[in-house]
Amino acid sequence: MTETKDRREFMMSVGIGAGLVALGAQGAAALRSLGPNVSYDPPTTVKLGMPLELPDGMKFLPEQRLFVFRSGKTFHAISAVCTHLGCTVRAEALPRPETKVVGNGELLLTHAFKCPCHGSAYSGDGVNTEGPAPTPLAWYELSIAADDGQLVVDLAKPVPHDFRLTIA
Amino acid sequence: MRAKENAVADAPLPTPQQPPTAPGVHRSSFWSLRPASDRQAGDAVVSNFLLHAFAAKSCKRSLDVRYSLWLGTISAALLLLLTVSGLPLMFLHVPSVERAYASVKDIEYVITFGSWIRAVHRLSAHAMVIAVVLHLMRVFLTGAYKNGIGQGQRREWNWLVGVAMLLVTLFLSFTGYLLPWDQLAYWAITVGTNIASSVPVVGAKIRELLLGGRVIDQPTLIRFYALHVVALPGLLLLLFAYHMWRIRKDGGLAVVDLEATTAAHPVTEPTKTYTLLGVARGTSPKIVATSIEAEDTTVNSVPDLSRRIAIAVLGTFAIISILAVFIASPLEEPANALVTPNPAKAPWYFLWLQEVVTDTTIKLGAFTVNGALIGGVLLPGLLVVLLSVWPWLDRSAKTSTGVWFAADRRRQNLVFLLLVALVLALTIVGTFLRGPYWHFFWPWQAWPEIPGRI
Repeated sequence: MTETKDRREFMMSVGIGAGLVALGAQGAAALRSLGPNVSYDPPTTVKLGMPLELPDGMKFLPEQRLFVFRSGKTFHAISAVCTHLGCTVRAEALPRPETKVVGNGELLLTHAFKCPCHGSAYSGDGVNTEGPAPTPLAWYELSIAADDGQLVVDLAKPVPHDFRLTIA
Repeated sequence: MRAKENAVADAPLPTPQQPPTAPGVHRSSFWSLRPASDRQAGDAVVSNFLLHAFAAKSCKRSLDVRYSLWLGTISAALLLLLTVSGLPLMFLHVPSVERAYASVKDIEYVITFGSWIRAVHRLSAHAMVIAVVLHLMRVFLTGAYKNGIGQGQRREWNWLVGVAMLLVTLFLSFTGYLLPWDQLAYWAITVGTNIASSVPVVGAKIRELLLGGRVIDQPTLIRFYALHVVALPGLLLLLFAYHMWRIRKDGGLAVVDLEATTAAHPVTEPTKTYTLLGVARGTSPKIVATSIEAEDTTVNSVPDLSRRIAIAVLGTFAIISILAVFIASPLEEPANALVTPNPAKAPWYFLWLQEVVTDTTIKLGAFTVNGALIGGVLLPGLLVVLLSVWPWLDRSAKTSTGVWFAADRRRQNLVFLLLVALVLALTIVGTFLRGPYWHFFWPWQAWPEIPGRI
């Protein structure tokens, strides 16, 4: 430090510094205000109706983007959200249903799933077979509501592929 | 301009306390400037933007349509047209999820001239993407991001600004896509924001910031609306102003440097004066400078440059306005979160990316990398980085600045054209050869009948 600042220069740099800090704080506040603190997302736990009123086989629930499968008194649910980029996959009925060992038990596969956006394909148990999808379709937990006995899906709770809900 | 006076050193600045002394300058309450000397008055003229939108003289070769193809002017004209046609649309469009679709439908079918204004806006947007990309290609192929012989040239920075403007143009187009709130819009945003969320670590946060939540809803629409009508146009105008200013600071288009090195009459006597518009009179400093301001190489910017700009701008307006009469803007079904259209296609200029994200999911043993990350983030990111740093990697000679297909830039031009051809090919495949479930179909093959709803 060979030169000393005079008061004018010092005040000038204080002013510029304060201005920059103020601008920075405004910018940071503006950016932070865009990050939501409260989510108005639809609830992830949804009642799907009385379990025995669901048709045997597959039913697509568009609002939940979910396929619910019923085989007698056994239920499972597979997400319709493509794992690649989030489009809704479509179910296509297989010409001949086939059985596949999934987890502990056999599963009758009646459909295959295909994504219209980028051509990903999944087998009837949600396993990705073709296209850019990186992972299988999610399976979600099903349960029975304690209050009215309706079938309940928890869209925030993925479960392994051997999950089955069997009701008495 | 060629007075033979001797150079005089800058006069010392008068102290601020002195009363105005500049001759011929009177007070006016509308002027913020009260020059106290010839020097200040001259400086004011020099630093005034409006008086310097153009240089006094323009190099003939830089006006030649065969050099620049006037693509920059056309891009700017389209931006102007987008602003002009966007303004009435702003009065008519309601950015609410309940009413956006109906308001666009009203614009299309009810409002007088509404469909034409919307078509002008849409066609200008598409044309601007094309014009800006072609402009970038022209600048690359002529090596116009290179510095020639001028002092203080920073053309590489202007190239960077140009790349940023291309990205802003694309983002503007993308945000405009959502506003009609139809099926096209909804699913384009679904795919686009899911690509953003494939970024490791911060991806989910970026998506949440873009959507204003975790699902596409009212906060998303209003965000994209504000970006589309205020934030991005403002940013683009700022960048555009800087882009223009830099062209002046860099001594004009790159072809001028070529002219300077090959000019028949290099001038080395004092030529440049600061006697501007007669404001600063009497003594005036002059410097020795190489000048190409010879009669046979330059013309007056007004009217020669202004006439060409007028032709390009009016021509662009005319073509778009006429096309807009014949080409209607599509409006699909209202946005429906429950049904993904089949096939669901991105806007055409993103279809090459859609094609890439489809083909780039990589499986390494048990480890799978989503194509969204590779094709949607890494690959385009790499392309943008490569474009951005290319001026610093280009080691060709200064003499290939402003030359179409210069010999010592042949290899990089070829690689560049190859990449462009690849993007073009993927765009064509995505546009014309992809059908339901993104399956490949030749143009003469019929698409299978697939029910619209399950």
